[in-house]
Amino acid sequence: MKIIKVRTIVDGHVRGKVLVSKASISFLGGVDGKTGTIIDPENELYKLSIKNKILVFPEGIGSTVGSYVIYALKVNNVAPLAMIVNYAETILIAGAILANIPLVDKPSLDLLSLVKNNDTIEIDTKNNLIKVF
Amino acid sequence: MFITKEQESMLEGEQGYTISKLMQLIIKIGEANGAERLIPIKSAQIAGVSYLTVGDAIFSFFHDLLQDNVKVKVPSWLNPAGMDLKQTKSMGIDKKFAEKQLKIIDNYVRLGIEPTLTCTPYLVGNAPAFGEHIAWSESSAVSMANSYYGARTNREGGPSSLASAITGLTAEYGLHVDENRLPHISIEVNTELESLSDFAGLGYWFGKNFGGRIPLFTGIKRLSIEEAKNLAAAMAAAGSVALYHVMGVTPEKDLYSDSKNLEKIEFTTEEKNDFYNQFNDSDGSIELVTVGCPHASVKEISSINKKLKNKRLKKNVKLWIFTSRQVIENTNNQDLINNLRRIKGVSIFSDTCMVVSPSIRNKFHYIATNSAKAAFYLMKNKDTHVICKPLDKIIEDVVE
Repeated sequence: MKIIKVRTIVDGHVRGKVLVSKASISFLGGVDGKTGTIIDPENELYKLSIKNKILVFPEGIGSTVGSYVIYALKVNNVAPLAMIVNYAETILIAGAILANIPLVDKPSLDLLSLVKNNDTIEIDTKNNLIKVF
Repeated sequence: MFITKEQESMLEGEQGYTISKLMQLIIKIGEANGAERLIPIKSAQIAGVSYLTVGDAIFSFFHDLLQDNVKVKVPSWLNPAGMDLKQTKSMGIDKKFAEKQLKIIDNYVRLGIEPTLTCTPYLVGNAPAFGEHIAWSESSAVSMANSYYGARTNREGGPSSLASAITGLTAEYGLHVDENRLPHISIEVNTELESLSDFAGLGYWFGKNFGGRIPLFTGIKRLSIEEAKNLAAAMAAAGSVALYHVMGVTPEKDLYSDSKNLEKIEFTTEEKNDFYNQFNDSDGSIELVTVGCPHASVKEISSINKKLKNKRLKKNVKLWIFTSRQVIENTNNQDLINNLRRIKGVSIFSDTCMVVSPSIRNKFHYIATNSAKAAFYLMKNKDTHVICKPLDKIIEDVVE
């Protein structure tokens, strides 16, 4: 197990399976708000569902309307369990707060090369850390 | 972050769950950007209106907002929608799209937001004052507010501008702070800027090569509002530039007067020609001429009217002008609007534009425009061939 420091944006204590995208994600046009499926054919997670996963990716990009897509994921019960990014910009912060999805950024190690799909991660925002199993 | 007692009570939910959420949103975005406090805003301009861009995702959010019966605290206006509300048929908008679009606007109106549906609030009586803190979101409007008027706004997203409208607050970071408004680079303009598209070319070139930095332009003696908005729009689209200064012209003289130590770059006829050559992706065919990105002013519309006097458009060519409803419906402009509408092939639309409406994409394949921003977005569609050049020259090509 590895313990990695993070910065907390939205609180939560969750444990779940990882889904990693090496590319940044535009929620608008990149993720289907109804089904939680990645719909950007350029993304390595194309056609996979982010429902109940801990989504690890560099940052949010694209239209700021992406925040509303994150919110829709929650309303439609297909939201990720949590999100871990290198840098949380406005789109993700707004979306995660509206949808109450735990969000942390600035991991002290390069998480993108450290974890792979289906690894288990525990997020503990009380202590600003994550545990990689 | 330091927050006042009243702000704390809003955050704690004393004014309802929604207000508490929106406060959290503003505070967290502020904290992530190093803000130390919240500041009141005077107005908000809200993006996230066109059904083409927001889709169905926004309805669940409206549901929660309206359940708590919240209203905006400051004058707030909407960005363009996906269609002209009164000309859906001639734009070829389908019924389902139109219904959803009207529902989105209706929801915003219920929050107390004025459905101005324009990216140029400053052309219809809503210009910000010098030094005023505001929360605007459409990228060219943001740059105009900062650059031409000396007001202060970051480029807000749809959700953050809405949160600021409802709480009346934004976080103090980025362009709200003096030191972040200083120019980074000096651009000496050594070529004549004659048309609006020349100004757009300068903006596009800067945005593409120096995106994210704040320019101080020298060698521009005057700047009309039309020139300023074309410069702003191109720079924002090509390089996310939200503020520019023009030596001796734009109002923040105190911030840019000490510019001796800035790196200096020239903009010459060569760079200007390079810009036009990039947007020459056509064999000369034109199906549609489109003007009004950002929304056209009365002056721009009347100059088109003059250029078309005693002429007609070639067969199969359309000219679509996008402006705000306030301009179309202003009683002083009725002769102008009616004159133009009598010319076969000419349409004047309000409430929307060529970038956020589904009416152009996939329907016209050869498009000419004098807006670099419009050209930039229209070219993203691989089947669309776009020409960007001065309007005089475009009109010469399409009249007989």
